[in-house]
Amino acid sequence: MNAIPLLSGRSLTKEYPMGAERVHALRGVDVDVYPGDFLALRGPSGSGKTTLINLLGLLDMPDQGTLLLEGSDTATLSENERADTRRDRFGFVFQSFNLIPVLTAAENVAYPMLLKPQPRRPWRAALASILSAKPEHSSDIQARAVELLTAVGLAGKEHVRPDLLSGGQRQRVAIARALANHPVVIFADEPTASLDSRTADTILDLMKQLNQERGVAFVLSTHDPRVVERAARVIALHDGAVEPGAT
Amino acid sequence: MNRLTIAWRNITRNHRRSLLTGGIVAFGFASFALAGGFMAQSFDGLRDNAIRSGLGHVQFADARAFDQSEETTLQFGIGQTGKAMEVLRADPAVEVVMPRVEFYGLVSAGGRSLPFAGIGVDPEAEARGSNIPKSVHQGQWLDAKAREVVIGGGLAKALNARLGSSVTLLATTSDGTLNAIDATVRGIADISIKELSERYLALPLPLAQDLLSAPDTVSRISVILKEPAHEPEAAARLVQQLKQSGVTLGVKIWRELAVFYQQVRMLYLAIFGFMGAVLLVVVFLSTANATLMSVSERTREIGTLRALGARPRRITSSFILEGALLGLASSVAGAVLSLLITFAINISNIEMPPPPGSVKGFIISVQIIPSAYLAAATAMMITLALASFFPARRAARAPIVESLAHV
Repeated sequence: MNAIPLLSGRSLTKEYPMGAERVHALRGVDVDVYPGDFLALRGPSGSGKTTLINLLGLLDMPDQGTLLLEGSDTATLSENERADTRRDRFGFVFQSFNLIPVLTAAENVAYPMLLKPQPRRPWRAALASILSAKPEHSSDIQARAVELLTAVGLAGKEHVRPDLLSGGQRQRVAIARALANHPVVIFADEPTASLDSRTADTILDLMKQLNQERGVAFVLSTHDPRVVERAARVIALHDGAVEPGAT
Repeated sequence: MNRLTIAWRNITRNHRRSLLTGGIVAFGFASFALAGGFMAQSFDGLRDNAIRSGLGHVQFADARAFDQSEETTLQFGIGQTGKAMEVLRADPAVEVVMPRVEFYGLVSAGGRSLPFAGIGVDPEAEARGSNIPKSVHQGQWLDAKAREVVIGGGLAKALNARLGSSVTLLATTSDGTLNAIDATVRGIADISIKELSERYLALPLPLAQDLLSAPDTVSRISVILKEPAHEPEAAARLVQQLKQSGVTLGVKIWRELAVFYQQVRMLYLAIFGFMGAVLLVVVFLSTANATLMSVSERTREIGTLRALGARPRRITSSFILEGALLGLASSVAGAVLSLLITFAINISNIEMPPPPGSVKGFIISVQIIPSAYLAAATAMMITLALASFFPARRAARAPIVESLAHV
């Protein structure tokens, strides 16, 4: 690819303590993620896929190496700036869906939108927004949540709580939630691992479709060959390093 | 969906734990509110006793009498009593004016002589402004024109005096000579403070002035006001009016004179303050365990919210909101519980043993004090918010990947 990378990691290194020893989860990995990418991180368990996705998604920080987001070094970001970047630029899909159990499907999708900062208001208005049954812009947020649920094939399930949804439906809600704030990239850590093979196919097709229709990049960690089949690019990891010639 | 709704849903997602925590808080609230109600009732009773025992809401005397002890009888007595009384009675805020002569003497009956604390009063005014006449349980209260006395039950017992017994009162007059008069026991008062009961002797003001050879002189003038809330303003105004009439007197409001009331009040506040603090610590520790469990169980959820872009402060504040909301809901339950217990106590007429220095017990009674309820609710909400704050802050600051991997 000749485009400018959205994310560019160089010599990414990460170690974890395990008892008295340290485990080398990543050993100087170079990786680029481009706009509209559909990148699969392939490898066996313990190869460093999840660690790499955590670093790229700003969920964790590398011990060594640099990670640039659209050319800017992410090491200079404060904790709050990293949170804001995740909220505004990234989306996340987890293996276990990680939906909030007390929220309905639509509310789960709407939640990241509610995290957006509100303009500073007098304390009375701020208090009113906490107490109000419908926060400001609630109709816009609600409409977008419904639109996203419809886009992932869950029209009519807006008011259903996660515990009443199937695994595939929950993962669709998670995908809709990941799309909520118009991200440039969605990170999916083993998105099909908790799904049966038919549902996994459907979910992967949905991700591919959203990637193509909306131009949002996907970075998926997996050892599922179906993911690799659909990926535009694949990075194979082994023992925390990129396998030579496997990209 | 708003943060309050989410907080409430999180509270109700584990019914049993929330009910247990809420129960602890409701119990704590009820303890707070009931203690506050009992304390307020006690303060009201003590205040009323102090004022109606002769202090009045406002008291006038020679300014020296408030700071110094008399070396001779009526050394600081008020002359021109009639003029002062006239001015005080004319004020629309004044309900009763009670002139009093206070002195010490020796009372003899049937060969026994005992010291007494004498008080010369206007019987009619005392009947309206003091509780002493109501405490006469044998015989009758004083008659202004009769040469009769009312004595405390303890004194009557010590003298072996009964209604109609003749007594001789011996006292030092204002000019330092001894004088004696004979009188008849008209009534025996049931005075709850033991030491006072053994010394108390009341007699009509003219008879006291006759005994002390001090016509138109009193020790002090107590005033009962129609609106007790405005004591300082009334005191200042009355002093001014007296001054304009040529009578210069010092003035004190009852709080400055009721030493016993102030001591008991401080003691109560210290005891209940300490108990309240202990109660809050118990509530804090009890609820902190539940909150810690709740936060621990939701560690992965916290990690998810942080991954989605929630700042640590927002997550911490969400848990604080949950704590405060549970505190509020539990306080409402506690308020209902407090009202039921208050009602049950107030209709059950439970008699408490006599307090120290007293010979009479009292019926326990609890007031409903809105400010105590408000303070209890605030204390419970803050306690639960604090109990939520520490574990939530710790969880919100934990590494996201660790939170997401939490099982």
